[in-house]
Amino acid sequence: MKKSKKIYLAIMCSLPLMSVNSTGFAASELEQLKLDVEKLKTEVAAASEWRSQNSLMHMAGYADVGYVKSDAEGDDGSYNVGTFAPIFHYQFRDQVMLEAELEISTAEDGSTETAMEYLTIDWILNDNMILVAGRFLSPVGNFRQNLHPSWINKLPSAPPGFGHDGAAPVSDMGVQLRGGFHIGGMKANYAVYTANGPEVKAEIAPDAGDNTAIDEIEYDGVDAEAFGADGDGEKVFGGRFGILPVPSLEIAVSFVSGKATVTSFEGDEFTGTNPGLGGIAASNYDVTGMDVSWRNKSFDVRYEYVRSELGETNIGGFGLASAEWTTWYGQVTYKIPSSKFEAVVRYADFDTPHASADVQQTAVGLNYLITNNFIAKLGFESNDNPNAGQQAYDRALVQLAYGF
Amino acid sequence: MKQNTKNLTLSSLTALMGLALSASVAIAADYPAKGDFVKGAKAWADNCVRCHNLRDAKELRDDQWITTGFHMRVRGGLTGQETRDIITFLQQSN
Repeated sequence: MKKSKKIYLAIMCSLPLMSVNSTGFAASELEQLKLDVEKLKTEVAAASEWRSQNSLMHMAGYADVGYVKSDAEGDDGSYNVGTFAPIFHYQFRDQVMLEAELEISTAEDGSTETAMEYLTIDWILNDNMILVAGRFLSPVGNFRQNLHPSWINKLPSAPPGFGHDGAAPVSDMGVQLRGGFHIGGMKANYAVYTANGPEVKAEIAPDAGDNTAIDEIEYDGVDAEAFGADGDGEKVFGGRFGILPVPSLEIAVSFVSGKATVTSFEGDEFTGTNPGLGGIAASNYDVTGMDVSWRNKSFDVRYEYVRSELGETNIGGFGLASAEWTTWYGQVTYKIPSSKFEAVVRYADFDTPHASADVQQTAVGLNYLITNNFIAKLGFESNDNPNAGQQAYDRALVQLAYGF
Repeated sequence: MKQNTKNLTLSSLTALMGLALSASVAIAADYPAKGDFVKGAKAWADNCVRCHNLRDAKELRDDQWITTGFHMRVRGGLTGQETRDIITFLQQSN
């Protein structure tokens, strides 16, 4: 064989080994690149807090910023940061999840306020039951536990009575069982719990002619937020049961029952010696609620009612009459077809034992869904207070809300 | 009443969030058990909109849909099977 022919055959045989693809890299270089990528993946995975796939962590949450202007004298309007609420999820396989939500906001004086919205350890017992222990959002009704995040709430504000210091319990500290199941052709969900329960504030009204003498004592309000210690030693029991005859309709009832005790006095008009907190008999504390929601392609309709009641008691020989806080709202949201706009109207009526705190509110809003979790809201509230015979302030609100 | 936590500084919060973010890497978990894609699509459409606008499956990674799915199971009163079906649908759609 001629030398030139040998060279030709040698080149032809070596071509496959020297072949280059369309990227211009030799096969051997691509192989090395694959090895490098695999090595990098391993290093990235090792950078996790856990090297095992058994543990997961994820941060979700929401935030909102806005502007509020009321017709109160001297109110020129204010920009504000509503809330930054990061939610931390830590999970071990499908057995347990730790959930914690912080609520960070800026006060009027510019200081930062931080609160623990909830912190629970959720133990997945079976397909129909989860044990939730810790500080949890009250299962009474639907607004507090599911609808209050600003990227979910269709208006820039909570309905009167459903925020902090309202008729509806906000949160509690205890143990809860909750879950869902199918019954017949319907879906149902439930939550039952026992918890530390609320504490009660009383107000001392002084005698007209003597600020050091007591004229009467009445209930001032119920602090229905989770307490880290059960100051009055009285536990409550409550829950919610919901049923969905069809997926678009949910009807639910809620309740709380137990006792609560006056643990503090409010009011600075009385300058005498208060009767003291010792020996105050616990009052009956009962909450009943109902919520209904229905939707179709364009409409989302919600109704929610909560009534909290304190029974009679006696402080230092002064009888406290029973008192009740009642609130409800109805809300209709209309998603304008083939657009990113939705219109909202809500009416709410909040009645308390103190007429000056009552509110009847009509709110309207127009939202623009920049994305499904990033919403620009424009709202207007008409707040009336006929029981107190005084002017309640109307407000215009603008809000940007983002859920992540 | 807002219960402030005065001793929880912003710097410690920032560090906590930083830890959460830095530890967010993709992990291929072998749980929960695989659900039914078609049933998951229906359960996703029926249940998520009970409270909020639907979120795009492509927003989160597979592992993030697991934690999100379990969070929503607690919140929304979902059954375990519904949760597995929804997670399977979202993981296969992202």
